[in-house]
Amino acid sequence: MRKTLMAIWLVLALSVPAAAQISEIRIADTTGDWGYPNAFRHYPRGPGYVRMSWVFDTLVWKDENGYVPGLARTWSFYPKILAFAFELHPKAKWHDGRAVTADDVVFTISYFKKHPYGWISLDHVDRAEAKGPHQVVIRLTKPYAPFISDVGGTMPILPRHIWEKVDQPQAFDAPEAFIGSGPYRFKDFNKAQGTYLYEAFADHHLGRPRAERLIYVRSGKPLVSLATGEVDLANIQPEMAEPLRQKGMAIIQDERGWVKKLMINHKKPPFDDRRFRQALAHALNRQEIIDRSQRGFGTPASYGLLSLDHEMYNPDTPVYAHDPEKARALIAGLGYTKGADGILQREGRPLKVELLSSHITVGGQSVADRDGEVIKKQLEAVGLVVDLVNLEQATTDSKVKNWGFDLAVSGHGGISGDARILNEMISSQFGAGSVNSARYDANLELARLLDAQIPEMDVVKRKLLVQRIQVFHAEDLPAIPLYHPQSMAAYNPQKGIQWFFTRGGISKGVPIPQNKMALLR
Amino acid sequence: MLSGEWNKRWTGIAVYLLGAAVLIYLSYRLPALLPGDFVTAMFASSHVTLTAEQDAQLRAWYSQRPDFGQYLLGLLRLDWGYSFAFLTPVSRLILEALPWTLLLAGSAHALSMALGFWAGVEAAWRRGGRAEKAAVGLMTVLEGLPEIATGVALLLVFALHAGWFPASGAQTVYARLSLWSWMLDVLHHLALPLATLVLAYLPGNFLLTRASMVMVLGEPFVQTARAKGLPPLRVRYGHAARNALLPMVTRFGLRIAFMVTGALVVETIHSYPGLGTLLFNAIAKRDLPLIQGIVLFSSLMVLAVNVALDRVYGYIDPRVAHAR
Repeated sequence: MRKTLMAIWLVLALSVPAAAQISEIRIADTTGDWGYPNAFRHYPRGPGYVRMSWVFDTLVWKDENGYVPGLARTWSFYPKILAFAFELHPKAKWHDGRAVTADDVVFTISYFKKHPYGWISLDHVDRAEAKGPHQVVIRLTKPYAPFISDVGGTMPILPRHIWEKVDQPQAFDAPEAFIGSGPYRFKDFNKAQGTYLYEAFADHHLGRPRAERLIYVRSGKPLVSLATGEVDLANIQPEMAEPLRQKGMAIIQDERGWVKKLMINHKKPPFDDRRFRQALAHALNRQEIIDRSQRGFGTPASYGLLSLDHEMYNPDTPVYAHDPEKARALIAGLGYTKGADGILQREGRPLKVELLSSHITVGGQSVADRDGEVIKKQLEAVGLVVDLVNLEQATTDSKVKNWGFDLAVSGHGGISGDARILNEMISSQFGAGSVNSARYDANLELARLLDAQIPEMDVVKRKLLVQRIQVFHAEDLPAIPLYHPQSMAAYNPQKGIQWFFTRGGISKGVPIPQNKMALLR
Repeated sequence: MLSGEWNKRWTGIAVYLLGAAVLIYLSYRLPALLPGDFVTAMFASSHVTLTAEQDAQLRAWYSQRPDFGQYLLGLLRLDWGYSFAFLTPVSRLILEALPWTLLLAGSAHALSMALGFWAGVEAAWRRGGRAEKAAVGLMTVLEGLPEIATGVALLLVFALHAGWFPASGAQTVYARLSLWSWMLDVLHHLALPLATLVLAYLPGNFLLTRASMVMVLGEPFVQTARAKGLPPLRVRYGHAARNALLPMVTRFGLRIAFMVTGALVVETIHSYPGLGTLLFNAIAKRDLPLIQGIVLFSSLMVLAVNVALDRVYGYIDPRVAHAR
């Protein structure tokens, strides 16, 4: 009997298949071209970083629940010596077969200090020291709360034996420039076709990747490409979720990590008066914008800017109910009176504003919407004259960057990632080069809180600071957060890969479901 | 007499050279007037939040551009500049994209010209008949349809619903195919964008040929040919259609000249990797050297086609050569 049971168990054990190897996975992308996949040649937007992440590993990574081991098996912070210690995975290898060691991490830090990589800031890092073949300690000059997100989870580790001979990294395009320790080897980037080919790195320390080849395909209509079986994974419009589900596709939805907002030129009157900005907030009906422009697929955003899904989100952030009467009263307090035609005016001049509108949405993609039209109508209902100007993205960005605007509809991601995003999107000290940053320094207390949250290593204390920042943002409204569009992707489940959206976004908040961990399970 | 001909020839060459110089200057000057710049387009909405200092450094780097003299000298040395975004010579990018545009737009022009010419000749020959009226009505409607509408409609019907054709690209990328299978694959991908362009070009060709043919059919030499008892096919094509061909050649030339901009919409809808897509992406990124390169290539093509048309006219209609 015992022998029989043993035999049955053996048969069952042998018959359970290991995760099947897939020949290839094809991913659709509307743009196609995101640069070459290494730190110095990829484009600075999220899809460029993701192209690189297949080839280069970071010390830690994220999945749908939070941080997970990357090249480092363990990590810890030592407050007394102001240092982070990492223990590297002993089986980690470069694509050319050499072992990944602590020296590579030490070298990467010093190399990026000499040749900065825009995605990370090493201002707070003093030096790195190898404490053994696989033990490394990174010492800070001062406390830096976003360290794990900004450096540990974003900085690609470079092979010392290749890059130590390279003085001009931007010009280095030899095949060795793409030797990393990630789960895929880079094989080709076709600039004309906008396509990428990667091949599995069988010796990856977390195991052989599930798909032998990973291919990015440029598709103007990702949904059609998905439906016709040309690709296995694509971002989709929310209204297509049900038809695709009926066709057997798996649908995934991202957390609220991208926000559409109304940029305000707070450097010129009357926008420089926060009562006027608050009046604008009361004039807007954000649910109507979602219903009419996004067909109902969205959620009104927090006036504090941080995502409603963020662990540091403040539920007590002030809100502005849609109240045209209150909006009119606030504007009247600034000396405007209603003319016979219903238009607000002061000193005989009507209150006229220019509203720039483009169609930016999640991941920097462009999707036609009617945000500008709806906002124009709502502002006109309280007595403003609105000149709506629809422009393509680069022109809108340029005007906003140079303060050549009154109001502009724009948006950005990263709001479910590290709370450093608040500094980047509010303060000119951090976000001078971003068109999405309000670059607002008028409130000294807000500026102080922003400065204070960065070195606060105590999570509970930092959360209190971040929550106060949200209140200040909501009160001052340097920009008005409008809504989070629903962000969805669909994939073919028959390939056996379970794609997912990353908690807080990949790296610093990239809202794309192309996480390499999905192919390492 | 001989020196007069030489003078004429040299004047012609001088005019074309002057035209080329003006086009080169415009290709250098106009793209730089676009609002926006590469640094803003590339970094402003990215995850890299530049400090004021980094922003200024990048801006200073990318605003370095050759003056017109250096630009001209570079062109003469076949140096068309270096793409900001691709970090690759502009000429290489153009040469990589050009074959796909030639395949798509070239075959669309050839097909729509042949079909349009044949249908236009036949319709004019059967003027007043039911078939001719139906064809003119249909072609007039098609002529009014923008390419974007036809392209999307074909995509929805034949790619999304029927699943007969792929939705994007010029080939199944990185597929391990034999040469024969690869050619079939390319044709399979070509079908929808080609059909869109043919539907866009065909009506104009048809209506133009029909109109020219109707006029030619009333000419005395056609009456003579008929009176001589020549077979109808010979009267139609040997005598009448040949004389109705000249406006078609002009149209064909102009269309070919505007190949890049003409195919831009269709290339973008189908993510077809031609010059139109390259230009579209270059403009979105404000990749100035690449925009300049494509604009210059496109304008020189207009000029070259004009030169070629000038020569071809002489062969098709000896009266033109005689009039020179």
